Amino acid sequence: MSVIAPKFRLGYFLKGIFDNAFWILTIVTLAGIPLIQIVLFYMDLPVIDGELLTAFLAFTWLFNPTMQVPLIKSLLYSDLFRIAAFPGFGFAALIAAGTIFVERKMLAKLQLRVGPFYCGKIEGLLQLAGDGLKLISKEIIIPAKADKPLFWAAPVLFVGTAAAFVALIPVAPGGWVVADLDVGLLAVFAVIGFFPIITILSAWSANSKFPFIGGIRALHQMVSFEIPLILSLLSVVILTGTLNLSEIVESQSNFPWIIFLPISAIVFFTAMLAELERIPFDLPEAESEIVAGWLTEFSGMMYGLVQLGSYLKLYAFAALFVIIFLGGWTGPMFWPPLETELITTGTPIPNFKGDPVLTVFAPGLPLFDKDPNEWVLQEQGELQYTSGQLLINGVIWFVLKTVAVIFFILLPRGVFPRIRIDMLLHIGWYKLIGLAFVNIFIALGLVYAGVLGPGGIM
Amino acid sequence: MADALFLAISVLTIGSAIAALEMRSLVYGSIALMGTLGGVAGFYVMLDSPFVAMFQLAVYVGSIAVLILFTVMLVKRELIFKKIEDPKRKFAGIGLMLIVILALGAIIMDSGIKSISTDSDPVDFREIGGDFLTYYWPALVLMALILAGSVMGALVLARREDTVENEQRTD
Repeated sequence: MSVIAPKFRLGYFLKGIFDNAFWILTIVTLAGIPLIQIVLFYMDLPVIDGELLTAFLAFTWLFNPTMQVPLIKSLLYSDLFRIAAFPGFGFAALIAAGTIFVERKMLAKLQLRVGPFYCGKIEGLLQLAGDGLKLISKEIIIPAKADKPLFWAAPVLFVGTAAAFVALIPVAPGGWVVADLDVGLLAVFAVIGFFPIITILSAWSANSKFPFIGGIRALHQMVSFEIPLILSLLSVVILTGTLNLSEIVESQSNFPWIIFLPISAIVFFTAMLAELERIPFDLPEAESEIVAGWLTEFSGMMYGLVQLGSYLKLYAFAALFVIIFLGGWTGPMFWPPLETELITTGTPIPNFKGDPVLTVFAPGLPLFDKDPNEWVLQEQGELQYTSGQLLINGVIWFVLKTVAVIFFILLPRGVFPRIRIDMLLHIGWYKLIGLAFVNIFIALGLVYAGVLGPGGIM
Repeated sequence: MADALFLAISVLTIGSAIAALEMRSLVYGSIALMGTLGGVAGFYVMLDSPFVAMFQLAVYVGSIAVLILFTVMLVKRELIFKKIEDPKRKFAGIGLMLIVILALGAIIMDSGIKSISTDSDPVDFREIGGDFLTYYWPALVLMALILAGSVMGALVLARREDTVENEQRTD
């Protein structure tokens, strides 16, 4: 009779604990502490309330309620928070996760199915978490004759490039963007150019027929649709005279560009669908023809990473459409303007005799204002708002518009069939490029007629 | 910091250029070529001209490297190249490279550009655009005509194949 677990003995148990403790201590002493010292040497430590935040102080303040708020505020304004959480990766990944769930559910409704239903009791809300756990726990299988370094690198590079794309997207007024480049739109074009390379390299490295066919199709499609994509955005650049995405949004405070450049918006939307490999342009991963296209050989979390990257890309493209044609975060304010003295000096509240007993400050949004004593009032029109109000208002409008555009990206999947590759290339090279040029001439006409641009309304 | 960055980018650029020449695998060679082109873009960023850097990335890494990869993947290396192992040629090539680099370096050092002022403002790309539209407009028109000609040529070449395919489809 074989026993799977050996018999329990206290001596072995204690030995196991002591062994683990010994090795952990040894490794931390020899590698961990020097590593922390090296990292701390290169890091800029924040100054909070006139004190340099060392690791010791941070640990102390974690248990001091009066110092927690400044600590959290300084974290909110750090670069790491921007990259990892709010305008960067975390925010985009949240929207991407929501997109996946909504896509499955909406597609099911369009096709008179129920979609995910059992996970999480209410309408399959936890289906996504279940899928994620499944993908993480699955084994990663690599084909025997694959080119291993490239095969491993491709999903990571794909997610990295998508995250770089997300980093260029401004989300709210006041510089809420990871990388506010002066040549932001060009940087977007440069980042988009990396996707076909990663696709074709991963397709080649799998050393299999279906991924290679899918990769070649993806290359054709992405390279040929990049041209109308770039040309359709040039008309906006001509009208605004800037390549900075935040400035492009600010130029639309009166009207969005889609009013004047509808052709450009249509061309960009179509090229966007092709770049995202979505139906009706999903030839690179045509399920009914070539298994799963260039994703065929990926398994486990590698497949999950590629999916995450493609949905991050979808969010980034939708956000780019919103920024360039729909006015980004501009929109009517949800908030009433605050009185100036409520913020600066506080409003005294009298008791029934008329003596002021309480001075009330605006509760405000402490997380988003650097210092309650220096609340910045920003003027928008004639009214004044705090920067926190503008931030939340901007984010709400931005997310609403982005979700609407994502809905219109998802919708064709339930409506249109897949088109042939020659029709696809025909659309890309003949129709879309021609339309984009037409629109550039419209934009030039508007500028030279003095309707818009530097001499006109703007 | 700038020196360390410069050194890192130089090592990346030159190292991947050597790798691009010396790699046995053509695909890895073209990846290394991509590294070289990206390193050149890094130099442009360091030289305060992000506009050129982004175009370097979009055009050279994004399009030309893709074309090279595409070509390399669709051919069998044995069919077009014969491997000739000749150490003499290699040393001659290295010697020639050293001579060229030394000559260029001597010319540059002799020309008086020995110091670079790093605190001057970067050139604004809007000014370049304005100059192109006003004073240098013939150059712009010439470039536009050449580009239009090449695009039309590409379309004509693509169209010829299209008719053949259509005839086959009707059969």
